[in-house]
Amino acid sequence: MLNAQKLGLVFFPAFDWAISPTHPEREERLLYTRDQIVEEGLLDMPAIREYKPKIANLQDLERVHVGVPDITSLITNAHLVSAGGAIAAADAVMKKEVQRAFALVRPPGHHAMRIVHGTRGFCTINMEAIMVEYLRRTYGINKVAIVDTDVHHGDGTQDIFYHDPDTLFISFHQDGRTLYPGTGFTNEMGSPNALGTTVNIPLPPGTTDRGLHEVLDHLIMPILGDFKPDIIINSAGQDNHYSDPLANMAITAQGYARLADTLKADIAVLEGGYSIEDALPYINVGIVLAMAGMDYSKVIEPNIADCPSQTSSVTHYIKDVIKERQDMWGRKEKLQREAIMKHGEFWQTERSIYYDDVGINEQQKERVRLCPHCSGYVTIETKARSSLHYKTAYIGMIPQKACPVCLKAAYDVVHAAKKQGNYQHYMVQNKQKDRLERL
Amino acid sequence: MYQSIRNSMEQSAVGFIPGKRGDNMFLGLDVGGTFTDGVVVADGKVVSMVKTPTTKENLLQCILTVVDKMVEDTGSKAFERIALSTTIVTNAIVEGNIDQVGLCIMPGPGMNLKDILPVAPYILSGYIDHRGREMAQPNKEEVLSACRHFSSCDVFVVSGKFAVRNPCFESAVTDWIQEQASPMHISAGGKVSGSLNFLRRTNSAYYNGAVWRHFNAFATAVEEALKMRGIYSPVFVLKADGGTLPLSVARNYPVEAIFTGPAASTIGIMGMNGDAAVSGISLDIGGTTTDIALWQKGRPVLAKEGAAVAGHRTGVQGFRLKSVGIGGDSLVFWENHVLKVGPMRHGPAMAAGGPKPTVTDAMVAAGFIDFGDRALAVKAMMLLALQGQSPEAMASQVIDKAVDGICQAIADLLDEQAAEPLYHVEEIVCETKFVLENIIGVGGGAAGLVPLVAKKLGISYTLPENGKVANAFGAAVARPTIAITLRADTAEGHYTVPELGIKNRLPRGNFSLQNTYELAEKHLAELAQRNSISVGETQIVQSEEFNMVRGFTTVGKIMTCRLQVKPGVLQYGEEELC
Ligand SMILES: [Zn+2]
Ligand SMILES: [Zn+2]
Repeated sequence: MLNAQKLGLVFFPAFDWAISPTHPEREERLLYTRDQIVEEGLLDMPAIREYKPKIANLQDLERVHVGVPDITSLITNAHLVSAGGAIAAADAVMKKEVQRAFALVRPPGHHAMRIVHGTRGFCTINMEAIMVEYLRRTYGINKVAIVDTDVHHGDGTQDIFYHDPDTLFISFHQDGRTLYPGTGFTNEMGSPNALGTTVNIPLPPGTTDRGLHEVLDHLIMPILGDFKPDIIINSAGQDNHYSDPLANMAITAQGYARLADTLKADIAVLEGGYSIEDALPYINVGIVLAMAGMDYSKVIEPNIADCPSQTSSVTHYIKDVIKERQDMWGRKEKLQREAIMKHGEFWQTERSIYYDDVGINEQQKERVRLCPHCSGYVTIETKARSSLHYKTAYIGMIPQKACPVCLKAAYDVVHAAKKQGNYQHYMVQNKQKDRLERL
Repeated sequence: MYQSIRNSMEQSAVGFIPGKRGDNMFLGLDVGGTFTDGVVVADGKVVSMVKTPTTKENLLQCILTVVDKMVEDTGSKAFERIALSTTIVTNAIVEGNIDQVGLCIMPGPGMNLKDILPVAPYILSGYIDHRGREMAQPNKEEVLSACRHFSSCDVFVVSGKFAVRNPCFESAVTDWIQEQASPMHISAGGKVSGSLNFLRRTNSAYYNGAVWRHFNAFATAVEEALKMRGIYSPVFVLKADGGTLPLSVARNYPVEAIFTGPAASTIGIMGMNGDAAVSGISLDIGGTTTDIALWQKGRPVLAKEGAAVAGHRTGVQGFRLKSVGIGGDSLVFWENHVLKVGPMRHGPAMAAGGPKPTVTDAMVAAGFIDFGDRALAVKAMMLLALQGQSPEAMASQVIDKAVDGICQAIADLLDEQAAEPLYHVEEIVCETKFVLENIIGVGGGAAGLVPLVAKKLGISYTLPENGKVANAFGAAVARPTIAITLRADTAEGHYTVPELGIKNRLPRGNFSLQNTYELAEKHLAELAQRNSISVGETQIVQSEEFNMVRGFTTVGKIMTCRLQVKPGVLQYGEEELC
């Protein structure tokens, strides 16, 4: 379309929603951003068109998540509107009304995994993942790249797409040894059938614009060039900012704007960012301008002098990370063959997941069939314990492009488990039929 | 012509001398593009109605023609007030009849505005942040050099980002310019509009300055001429949001007088419709356009976006309106085998001696209205008709086309309203769709077209008596309004009222949203008194309250409240002057 505007903006600050009154994820988190965007007059710019969020429905959610006992009892309306905001952004781009879109929405979602027992890292459902599967279902999109630029590892998004060879997930973040959630190391590369399509780039505390752009130019952009996705999604977390209270990085609003400019994501969805007064208004304006193809050179934080410069040890460390990840990307086919050889028919993992919001400890056993014809069905056995609850479930998951063998096998194993009766809930997430079944 | 009276401007600002009042006669004037309408409303009834061609090159002439006729009709000169709805500001801008302005801005960090404003600004350093904190001081040397840069300008405009959160820098720069250049007028962004949106405020202030001299000359001419005729009624000017401003106040805020035509008709409808609290639309069907306004429970819906002038959005608030280029005089023609209606106009209907077929001709030929020479209207349809088509069939095809065009514009307006962004979960989850219940039709073309539009939409309609002079009626009865924005930041310990240029400390102790309303009431009363407006009923247009949390404790609240004297229809006998 000739007159398509540059940027569709879904701005949904959820001024009436908070995790709790003094939680960083509370009503006024986007208040100053709203003030800045409105005061700038950004919404009057011909390059920018504002959209209203939609309300995501249960099917949109269950295409991605399995809630235990169910997803609706774990979320609020705000989650549906935030996911619906991402969907509205996606629709605007797919209908070619705009070239790109930014869903500046809350609550965030990138720590929400496939199985949901509650809220972790401020997230309950994963907005990007819901949007990606909506795009696949509605518009038949196949290859998707998600670049997670939040300071925290996007462990939820990683989990959801870990077995999917058609979704490239790239996350750079402050090293998991120094920050929540403590994951996102370079050896987490995807399960054997999707090996290499998870790319983690842990960065040292104190990384500045310089280090970030080094990573972007020499690692992320070349990988995206190789993968050739149909669409690029940006999980646009803003807590790498030097003033963010939850992390220790040193990125500026200019650094973020230039990142958006280089990445040229089709759709960006807001994640974290908790320097709500000193950073968010400037970062968000910078990103909006960059995505709209406008001049962002004048967006500079008043307290820019507080931003530290990058030490030489950080610079060296980053160079090494880039080198290591480049090598791994280059050898991924070989690594994949080796992994498949090593694991035989099933790849499996056991892990514990902590839900910081209400103190739930979850034990998960995950198994994926290394099928030569499809990405393989998955089973997850989950047991979650808190002071109040003990919840268990046995879940089978069937990918959209599952082969007939995997399709049947998934039902068979869940039925067999039910016969044994060790769990409270038995479910099959059938992506081919686009529904979640309770057995 | 009225430029010649400019010298007497200073003396004329005196206002009016109270004469014999008590007839409760309100005189309303709508100076339109083609005609100037006037009505006198007494006790809610139209007691005099005058229509005269608008004398474009000399507006005063048609205004006086109407006023003289009304004095004759009513036998009185003791009007409670005279209210004008005029296109003078809009026309001055459209025709480029505006002054050069020394535009000085303090944009701080953010979007680059260099090529976005109507004229090239002089960029000054110094800026305020979103909390109203002074982040960098303005520089006097720079201001002096801006004055030199704009040495040929008689009018200056000063606008700073977040000046509505702290007007100090705008005031300081205004003072320095006054000292250095002593221009005739300086418009400050924060005083012209109290709402966030630096771009719109700057545009508003720019146009305010650019038309200032022109408008003041006109205002002076009106006051002088009335005085010469022995009429001492106070003069008011209509605003785009349907309120009125005393002419003496409008002299400082002429940009408020843009786009008052549709506002006048909307208020006129409110006056004619009484208390009917229906939701729906009004259609003001004129010669060249149809203006559509949205109504919710008997009140017109305000637009969130400011009015746009020459492609630039301003901070001037108006109703949610849509204008479509279909009216009674719209030209009807074939283009590549497609029947077209409007938007151009080539004179009146053929039935009234015009040169080409119009919508009105179709209405007359189809027998929907009785107007002019029916034989000529039928002839007009025959000119359009295809081989073997009867003039009646042609007429109904034209009418269908016009009705479809209006219905499409109504659908677009409803879509725009539905797309309005919402920022609370509750609003989105509980959103109710706008339900059309009724159409109110006014204007020359309403009698014929409105019933057809209503039938197509399957809803009821009303055609108020005197609908043909809804604009002038609206001007006559529109209540004076004024608004302020008060923002209290208890963590910073101060509050601001940008329209008054105030930044004050908050009283000690707990300060609640209720206290904010009370404080706003006080300042609104103050401003109203200064502007000779009776406060009467006020309404909160917007209110917001946020806790400020640092670490894990609440350190204060930010409360914003926009309060206005309720716009609407003057209650008869309402004491309108303090
Ligand atoms: Zn984060
Ligand atoms: Zn398979």
